[in-house]
Amino acid sequence: MDARFIPEPVHLIRFAPELLLTVFATLIMVLDPLTKEGEKHRLGILALVGLLAAAWGAAVAAANPGTAFSDMLLVDGFATFFRYLSILVGVLTLACSFAYLKREQADSGEYYALLLFSIAGQCVMVSANELIMIFIGLEISSIASYVLAGYLRDDKRNNESALKYFLLGSFATAFLLYGIAWIYGITGSTNLAEIQRVLSNRDIAPSVNLIGASAALMFVGFAFKVSAAPFQVWAPDVYQGAPAPVSAFLSAGPKAAAFAIFLRVYITAFEPIADQWQAVLWASALATMIVGNFAALLQSNIKRLLAYSSIAHAGYVLVAVTTHSQIGTAAAMFYLAAYAFMNVGAFAVVTHFARQGERYVNIEDLAGLGQRQPVTAALLSIFLLSFIGVPLTAGFFGKFYIFKAALDANLVWLTVLGLLNSAVAAYYYLRIIVVMYFHEPSESVADLQSPAPGIQAVLWASAAATLILGVFPSWVLDFAGKAALK
Amino acid sequence: MEHLWLIPALPLAGFALNGTVGKRLPQIAVSLIAVAMPVLSFLWVLKTLSSLGSLETAYIERYFTWIESGALNIGVDFMVDRLTAVMLLVVTGIGSLIHLYAVGYMAHEGGYYRFFAYLNLFMFFMLTLVLGANYLLMFVGWEGVGLCSYLLIGFYFVRKSAADAAKKAFIVNRIGDFGYTLALFLMFVQFGSLDFGKVFAAVAPMPVEHSAGLLTAIALLLFVGATGKSAQIPLYVWLPDAMEGPTPVSALIHAATMVTAGVYMVARSAVIYQHAPLAMEVVAIIGLLTAVLAATIGITQYDIKKVFAYSTVSQLGYMFLACGVGAFAAGIYHVVTHAFFKALLFLGAGSVIHALEGEQDLRQMGGLRKKIPITFAVLCCAWVAIAGIPPFAGYFSKDEILLAAHHHHPWMYWVGVVTAAMTAFYVSRAMFLCFFGQYRGHHHPHESPFIMWGPLAVLAALSLFGGWYFKVPNYLAPLFPLAEGGHEMALVAISVAAGVLGIGVAYVLYVVKPGLADSIASALGGFYKLVYNKYLVDELYDAAVVRPIVHGSRSLLWRVVDVGLIDGCVNGTATLARGVGGVLRAFQSGNIRNYAAWVTLGSVAVLVVLGIAVGGAR
Amino acid sequence: MDAILFLIFAAIAVGCGVNLVVQRHPISSALSLVGVMAALAVLYLLLGAEFMAAAQMIVYAGAIMVLFVFTIMLLNAGSERKTDKALFARLFGVPALIGFIVLIGFLIRTLLPKTENVVFGTFTEGTARGVGLKLFTEYLLPFEVTSLLILIAILGAVVLARKEI
Repeated sequence: MDARFIPEPVHLIRFAPELLLTVFATLIMVLDPLTKEGEKHRLGILALVGLLAAAWGAAVAAANPGTAFSDMLLVDGFATFFRYLSILVGVLTLACSFAYLKREQADSGEYYALLLFSIAGQCVMVSANELIMIFIGLEISSIASYVLAGYLRDDKRNNESALKYFLLGSFATAFLLYGIAWIYGITGSTNLAEIQRVLSNRDIAPSVNLIGASAALMFVGFAFKVSAAPFQVWAPDVYQGAPAPVSAFLSAGPKAAAFAIFLRVYITAFEPIADQWQAVLWASALATMIVGNFAALLQSNIKRLLAYSSIAHAGYVLVAVTTHSQIGTAAAMFYLAAYAFMNVGAFAVVTHFARQGERYVNIEDLAGLGQRQPVTAALLSIFLLSFIGVPLTAGFFGKFYIFKAALDANLVWLTVLGLLNSAVAAYYYLRIIVVMYFHEPSESVADLQSPAPGIQAVLWASAAATLILGVFPSWVLDFAGKAALK
Repeated sequence: MEHLWLIPALPLAGFALNGTVGKRLPQIAVSLIAVAMPVLSFLWVLKTLSSLGSLETAYIERYFTWIESGALNIGVDFMVDRLTAVMLLVVTGIGSLIHLYAVGYMAHEGGYYRFFAYLNLFMFFMLTLVLGANYLLMFVGWEGVGLCSYLLIGFYFVRKSAADAAKKAFIVNRIGDFGYTLALFLMFVQFGSLDFGKVFAAVAPMPVEHSAGLLTAIALLLFVGATGKSAQIPLYVWLPDAMEGPTPVSALIHAATMVTAGVYMVARSAVIYQHAPLAMEVVAIIGLLTAVLAATIGITQYDIKKVFAYSTVSQLGYMFLACGVGAFAAGIYHVVTHAFFKALLFLGAGSVIHALEGEQDLRQMGGLRKKIPITFAVLCCAWVAIAGIPPFAGYFSKDEILLAAHHHHPWMYWVGVVTAAMTAFYVSRAMFLCFFGQYRGHHHPHESPFIMWGPLAVLAALSLFGGWYFKVPNYLAPLFPLAEGGHEMALVAISVAAGVLGIGVAYVLYVVKPGLADSIASALGGFYKLVYNKYLVDELYDAAVVRPIVHGSRSLLWRVVDVGLIDGCVNGTATLARGVGGVLRAFQSGNIRNYAAWVTLGSVAVLVVLGIAVGGAR
Repeated sequence: MDAILFLIFAAIAVGCGVNLVVQRHPISSALSLVGVMAALAVLYLLLGAEFMAAAQMIVYAGAIMVLFVFTIMLLNAGSERKTDKALFARLFGVPALIGFIVLIGFLIRTLLPKTENVVFGTFTEGTARGVGLKLFTEYLLPFEVTSLLILIAILGAVVLARKEI
């Protein structure tokens, strides 16, 4: 037996967050039958403990950076950043879910277990140094997400959402897997650094078209997961149909993790053909922004509007990816973190407002929220203003860094068109504020209770984070800047 | 350390207090907090300025590094130089007076605490805008005041027109902000910094651009931002609608302070503009055009606040004319005097409206001179000030501007003089319609309480003597050197005569000529009748000069350009955007096989680009 | 010989694959899938991947497909109904699919070296021993993590299929 294949303890430490998440998720599954109906939320608290433990694990792993398990994993700043982000999104989603599951009388251990598994998958993805690990992590995260999207089995919208997500997701993953097979076939390796070495060595590198074709196939898979045009079609239907906390989760956590592997694969493995994929990304980023923003103009359902908005924001992040520079990567990381807060915050308001069976999900239903629950309306306004990119919110700096990086990379047109897009976006976010404050209260706000404690915690925490990132962006940006790949 | 941060922090504290617990506090406590904060801020400004002394060079306080990424290093830094000092005094001084006035004006309105919370928040952002030592911090204030303006215009949100006006203001301003943002990026890419000191130091040694170049682009983009915030052609349309907000808001935000932010920004960037004469020319011409256009529209309006709103647009045009012809100090001078008399005009108008229980139509007024004498008296002070009658406030600044314009291009002077005559005319018209003749309304006018006319009296004194007492150009001389050559008395005399002429014509038309009031009363039937029937054939308007102006401005400028063309463009953009959205939505059929087809189609496209089209690379 | 066998079984695999999609009744589709799996197993064998071929036959064609067929019969699923909604799919999807296949074929034909063998990294032999050694040394982590994937799939199936929540 070759000695280098025997895992050392430090390898397990580098794998700690995933291990802890899996242990807790399994524990929840085991305890589920032993927990009485009506007390299932205790499993949720256990899940919260698991997430905190995983965050601690990520910190311990970050203190021992390096590769693990024959180069399958790579724990670096980049991985650590996204591990924290995934766990954080998990915590916020969990806090929203308590009230939601209780309201829908669907509290069960499986929900929490699936959530933890999905986050474990994301952690595997972001720390993977190898295409097979990326694929497995992606599948773990995705399959858990598919099930979560259809969690309320008796709800037609949930069913439709899960089925669409599953079928189209599998379809797109097939492209990714095919691309991995190609790249393995032409380079003989699935290790990202090794692929880069082979591709950049002129003597042994295969034809650039072959590399391009494999990059294209993998692009389809990644672009699907980050909902980049033209592979964004699934997102509105899925986010609209899924339970509101799950939509929040899907548009923040798995999307950030997918961006992480997108960045990692294209910046390391496909570095030698950077010019080519930059052109594709350029077009995709522009199309994504346009599709997201313009389609959002017409939406009357707030979940669907937020889905399109999530597409549009993916477009902005793609602009950062297109720059192919360290500050661009840092900008993308900052934006994803900022977006996670404001997006989960906005969905938390939707979760709260929709009430049992998600009856009130139209924008018009929010009429008069400003009078009825001024605090909730004000917090939602903060998130919406951050989406628009008003200064003193996280969204402003997110956009600022991205477009600055784009200008540094001489992407002048993309910057101009992106800024124009964000001007269009102001219209539909503003419409929600107008409805909340300037419309006569509708009967939908009449019997609105005050938000559940979990949702309140999420709202305040997200709003605080949105404002703190808007005033002291350096706190996250420095971390991202150091962690960004080069 | 002068603790400059206290200046904006005090109103912010007021916002925080009233915004969080204001609902539960008694009205008197809310008022006390809301008024005390700007006043304390004003006192702190005075204390700071007296201890900073002559301020020959800028005084900068650096608090902490805000953003640090790569070459970018932006700090939260506040800066005071003489330009800032003038703006600080205007913002906190006039702001405090208007807060005091608002206590009386808003006493019986719902959402009292909310109103003052927003107003204090506005003060915070406005002071940040003025104090910021780099373009980004200025932008924070810039967006912040826009937000507060939006909230306050829509304050009476139950009125649909108010909500619409708020939205219009926000959207039009976004167009301007787009230009500002681009300018920020350009500056950063070019100079590697957004700090005023560093940017201007980098610009100063650059050659003056006689044809379009980078500095011209930056200057023009900044000006795009200014046209939005300061309501210049083509983005002025939001300001008249903004009068939907409560009157103290119109006075503070839409007359005295926020709308002059664009002028302040242009004056602050004087170094950049001086290196881009082409951009200066554009600024001057846009300013002049706006001044003329808005003045002609002002002549035709019957809503007292609309008259003053168009007047504001027109006066802002003057300020930009001053900046465009290089007389930045004169522009800022006019900012100051305009703040005095326009705040007074609006607050006085508010007092009239208050007296008439919400009536804003000039045709429903008349003869109020005896019923609300104090309001009449203070408004007279504003009247002579805006008409440019020496030695009152408006005369000094307007004179400086017109002389500088004459020095630049004599025709600009003449256009300016005609505008000055029109200015005097429409203000006089409003005054005569409001205070002279017979009372035509149905309410029972009553004088406003002391808390309202007290601030008015202070402003009246400033309107009368402020221009003479505060020689702003002399104070700003270290920043903007005084123009050489003395005042040509002939030119001064002509512009003063124009003002007197305007008043005289208005007097003849609205007071002397009998039966005019009846004609106006008979024209109350509606706007269209007014335009096409009696009004235009009425002998009173037979005056060959008045008629083309009235008719032309009403039907062409106001209806076609303002409502038709510019509103049409704004609405048209929205329609286009919705159209594109509709096409996109059609693709979102919900059918899963169609989605799969999309994915396949996309993958073919990507494959073609990455797999086939790159063939030539190796 | 290799080439002839390859062509025969590749044709069977493709034919069965197409049949799988066009058949209306689930049982016919499931049986076509067995055909695809078996043909693929032969192709693996031709490439020298003995273990893969065996695993493919036992696990896929054997265990999994039997489960499929049982499930379909238990549920007594009928033929699927035809819907006419997917106009876009028919107008653009089908040509796109054909275009995709043509593109991939073109790339492989023109670009892949014809004489050289495709490299399979550090895998040198396709026997049970060779694969096993790799799986438990170099690919230990993915191998173990895959078990997590299967666990989630089971959990998901339980969540979606059980009677009451």
